[in-house]
Amino acid sequence: MASRMIGSAEGRWIRADLRARRGQALLTVLTVAGIVTALIAAATLLEDGTNPWRGLFERGRGAHIWLHTKTVPDVSALKSLDGVTDVAGPYHSAPATLAADRGRKVPISLQEAPAALPAVARPLLSEGRWLDVRHPEGVVVERSFARAIGLRPGSPFTVTGLNGATHTLTVAGLAETGDQGFYPEWAPGLAWTLRQTLTAVEPAPGRTETVTGLRLADPGLTDLIVQRAVFTLHGQVQRVTTWREVRAAMELDNRLLGLLLGLFGVAGLVAAALALANVTGGRVLTQLRDIATLKSLGFTRGQITRMLLVEHGALGLAGIALGVVAAWLITAYALGESGVTPLSPGPHAAITVGTALVVLVAVWLPAWRGGRTPPLPAVPAAPPRGRLSRLARLALLVRLPPALVLGARDAFTRRTPALLTICGVAIPMMMITIGLGCWATLDDFIRHPEGVGQAAALAVRPADLTAEETRERVMADPDVVAAYPGAELDALVPGQTRTVRTRALGTSADPYPFPVAEGRMFRDRGEAVAGQGLLDLLGARVGDRVRITIGGTPLIVRIVGRVIEPEQDGEVLSLGIDSLAAKDAVPPRFYGLVLRPGAEPGEARARLQAQGLEVAQAVNPADRLAVIRVIIVALVVVLALIGLANLLTAGALGLRDHVLDLAVLKAMGLTPRQVMATLVTGTGLLAVVGVLLGGCVGALWSRALIDLEGRHSGVGAGIGRAPTPGMLAAAIGIAIGAALLVALIPARRAARARIPVTAR
Amino acid sequence: MRQSLLALLAKEPAHGYELKQALEAIFGSAYPSPNIGQIYVTLGRLEKDGHVRSVGVEQSNRPNKKVYYITAAGLETLQAWAEEPTEGPRVRDEFFMKLVLAPMTGLSDRMALINRQRRHYLSLMRELGELAERTDPGDRVALLLIEGAMLHLQADLDWLERCQEELP
Amino acid sequence: MTTTPAIRAVNLVKIYQSGRGLPVPAVRGVDLTVDPGEFVAIMGPSGSGKSTLIHLLGGLDTRTSGEIWLDGKRADTLSESGWAVLRREKIGFVFQFFNLVTNMTVADNVELPALLGGASPRHARERREYLLGELGLTDRAAAAPAQLSGGEQQRVALARALANQPRLLLADEPTGNLDSRNTRDVLKLLSRVHRQGQTIVLVTHDARVAGLADRVVSLLDGEIVDDGAIVRRRGPGGTAGDVVELRG
Repeated sequence: MASRMIGSAEGRWIRADLRARRGQALLTVLTVAGIVTALIAAATLLEDGTNPWRGLFERGRGAHIWLHTKTVPDVSALKSLDGVTDVAGPYHSAPATLAADRGRKVPISLQEAPAALPAVARPLLSEGRWLDVRHPEGVVVERSFARAIGLRPGSPFTVTGLNGATHTLTVAGLAETGDQGFYPEWAPGLAWTLRQTLTAVEPAPGRTETVTGLRLADPGLTDLIVQRAVFTLHGQVQRVTTWREVRAAMELDNRLLGLLLGLFGVAGLVAAALALANVTGGRVLTQLRDIATLKSLGFTRGQITRMLLVEHGALGLAGIALGVVAAWLITAYALGESGVTPLSPGPHAAITVGTALVVLVAVWLPAWRGGRTPPLPAVPAAPPRGRLSRLARLALLVRLPPALVLGARDAFTRRTPALLTICGVAIPMMMITIGLGCWATLDDFIRHPEGVGQAAALAVRPADLTAEETRERVMADPDVVAAYPGAELDALVPGQTRTVRTRALGTSADPYPFPVAEGRMFRDRGEAVAGQGLLDLLGARVGDRVRITIGGTPLIVRIVGRVIEPEQDGEVLSLGIDSLAAKDAVPPRFYGLVLRPGAEPGEARARLQAQGLEVAQAVNPADRLAVIRVIIVALVVVLALIGLANLLTAGALGLRDHVLDLAVLKAMGLTPRQVMATLVTGTGLLAVVGVLLGGCVGALWSRALIDLEGRHSGVGAGIGRAPTPGMLAAAIGIAIGAALLVALIPARRAARARIPVTAR
Repeated sequence: MRQSLLALLAKEPAHGYELKQALEAIFGSAYPSPNIGQIYVTLGRLEKDGHVRSVGVEQSNRPNKKVYYITAAGLETLQAWAEEPTEGPRVRDEFFMKLVLAPMTGLSDRMALINRQRRHYLSLMRELGELAERTDPGDRVALLLIEGAMLHLQADLDWLERCQEELP
Repeated sequence: MTTTPAIRAVNLVKIYQSGRGLPVPAVRGVDLTVDPGEFVAIMGPSGSGKSTLIHLLGGLDTRTSGEIWLDGKRADTLSESGWAVLRREKIGFVFQFFNLVTNMTVADNVELPALLGGASPRHARERREYLLGELGLTDRAAAAPAQLSGGEQQRVALARALANQPRLLLADEPTGNLDSRNTRDVLKLLSRVHRQGQTIVLVTHDARVAGLADRVVSLLDGEIVDDGAIVRRRGPGGTAGDVVELRG
């Protein structure tokens, strides 16, 4: 054990010291554990929010490879392939058409499923019942598709086969799956039926295909196994999908979210380091005399450093271990029920190792300083005293009560600890303020969607109607103020192998109100605006000309402005629809609808859908970033706790310094209340300075910092908002109140205690 | 001696030898054992001054012995002695004289004088310490007396230190 | 036959830097040789440099110049760690304010040096039991230092200093913070260990402590002004009755 690694004398001392301060040690362990738990939980939520595929895939034991074949493949040959652990299916699958509401026809894919849920590639039932042989008319619909179409358990499900026959089935339940992407990104929509039902809808065996899933031991070997499977099945395979495509379809490629989480993670680590350094430093400071005694007994500098490092480091590492266990319990039990999968090993290890390093560094500094204590214990560690600080003199000048003057004097007698205390409060407060800034930014997204390019709350596709009819119908709606014709196309840009999104919306004369952050809006044909991501991708600046190719037609546009672009990581070029070639522009693929202020998009959407239009509602980026809010709240709580813990340490330390003074003050006739006021002023003053400093710096920085994040995520600078004055004032008020309350605890105890006048 | 004999007689009448035994019992080894002749001489003087009176008591086979009683005048004198404050010990002026005068003669320098004196005091202190160790721990009067002597010595040593610091 | 001195200081100098950068000499060229088994008392007015001298001899402070030889080996050139190792093997220290490690029990305090010296926990425990038994503190072994009286604390500190049977016992005003009764207890202990052959160098103001020594060294302004044996004027004997005469 540790006593073998470090000498038994050190071991004895560590044990004795830990025994003497059980409460403080426990608090340290809990603080670190809290931070680690918060970090892991936040990362888990984030991963789950941005990458739902992993959770679905793991829970459903999904298949990594899906082979689409015309006929039933040789399952045993597939199973014997090296690296394949399980085979799902083979299942029959048939295309059909679903009669949705208002006479719309939606293509779907019916897939056979057994009445007993399979072990591999198991759909995850989220609502209703699974398939039942006693009710062959029941189907289970993939959830994202059901939601888009408006299906619920019990809804009629009328399908038409390729032969034209119509069958009226019923939705028995909704299920999720990690084996195909969400609708509408992944089309057609999916519904599971019993074999007999499938045969009834599509009796012709020639029109069905067979899908077979392979679950692999090592997902990294996917490509190799696909090749082998295709080879094994001798040209039977028509199509292959792999988990990578599914994941890509599901993933919210949100760099902004990742960056924000990274920021908060760093904030948490800094706060943890600060808390530990404060606790360790404070403890070492109170022990200088004992440490000097140990040195006089023959402890070397290295031994002392190692001893302190082991003692305090062990507390930190115990906290990490506890935090990992707590986070595991939370994700397994509390979040597990809502279907969150535990964090993948990479980030998990990064958080654990990162925190461990931070812990060791934070502890090493005070331990090193402790090791440098001179071995002269005869000199009592007396605080420098006597001189009134400038602040205290000012307090005297304005005739403040004596307790406040004494407290003000105490606050700054020891410069370094005073500075540490201020930092220990200011840094968490700054982080809290930045967190509030993020909150305000999200609020701003929701309150002013036009500021992030979402002036149009709805997008209408003409479906069966002509463009002109569509336009007339939408403009007839009372809530619709404007309808901008639009088209979204993929464009090839020079020097890039992939395409970027080109969005044509509005005309040069009547442009869609893009949120221009830099430069100006396009006014002529051949002019365009771009998101930060696109500018970065092309290495272009506002004012540059770029040459793109849309559907084989070259197009040269001049970028005249930069817009806030929350989609596609900002890699979007926006221009007037009249800048496009006619073949791409006429008729417009959709209309972007701007509603009158205060209108409810959901209601307008329902009304328009009732007129047979296909309407999509814009997803506010704030909704996608909603997980950030949970993280902000958790982080604010942890940071507040850290700040308060720092204050408690400072208070206890201040008390130790002033025990003798207190005896004298009491003898001079200060009442217990005045003594308390003195002590509260001593720590409270530092806390107030720290809170104000942290709040101001945070408010100043949050905008710049979020804009920086915005810039790096491609959305572009210009989204950042400082916390609202009300929010900031409330945060500062609460922080100061809590700080004073915390300062009151040791002060009250000290004021009541009978303090003997003794030699140290 | 006068006062101690008067004090003992104030307690109860006694003859000379009883007084000697009483003194030894009270002070133990702290004071030198009193001489019986000296006691009789002192008693004689006290009787002459009217502080005590003696009554002869006959004894078989032996000379008569005198039992002494305290008189009213003796009691008054004793009362006055008890109430009067006692003079404190005086600083040893002989060493101080040496210290001030010897350097003038060129025979010795102050530093050497002080050092010699200190060693002397310390050896006295050592002897007192040894004495205290030899003394029966139950003999509280004697131990207190030794401690008093030690404290006086400590004061003398401190004073030597002051002399060394202050005198050039 | 010449014996190796337990400790020898040659032209030892310590100069502090005052707050304004002016050099303040505390020890100015001290030559001191202490033979094994000797008991040396260092006296002098406050500020004469006697505490600094004893700290230098124990390596708690670094000398400005000069040499220190401990047990025939040169020690002043050692690093801080070198001194630490030397201290744990050869030097026991007793301070005015006892300086027991506050978190540890009496037993732990006394066992600590033995453990530090590499003794097995069992050996350390036996040594502790022996020492506390000698000093009459067996029943206080589990107590915290704060629960002890000053005299008891200093006795524990003495036990701790003697735990490793050091070549040299250094003490800085060991009775400076004790009343006369506790001083007497500590004095008895000191003279007992001295009789057992322990070499002792102590700084004191207390003539009763100095009276125990074989030799007294007087410091004034960082220099030795007197160094000589305390001679016994006469052989042992006499009674308390001699006190009056001694004082005369």
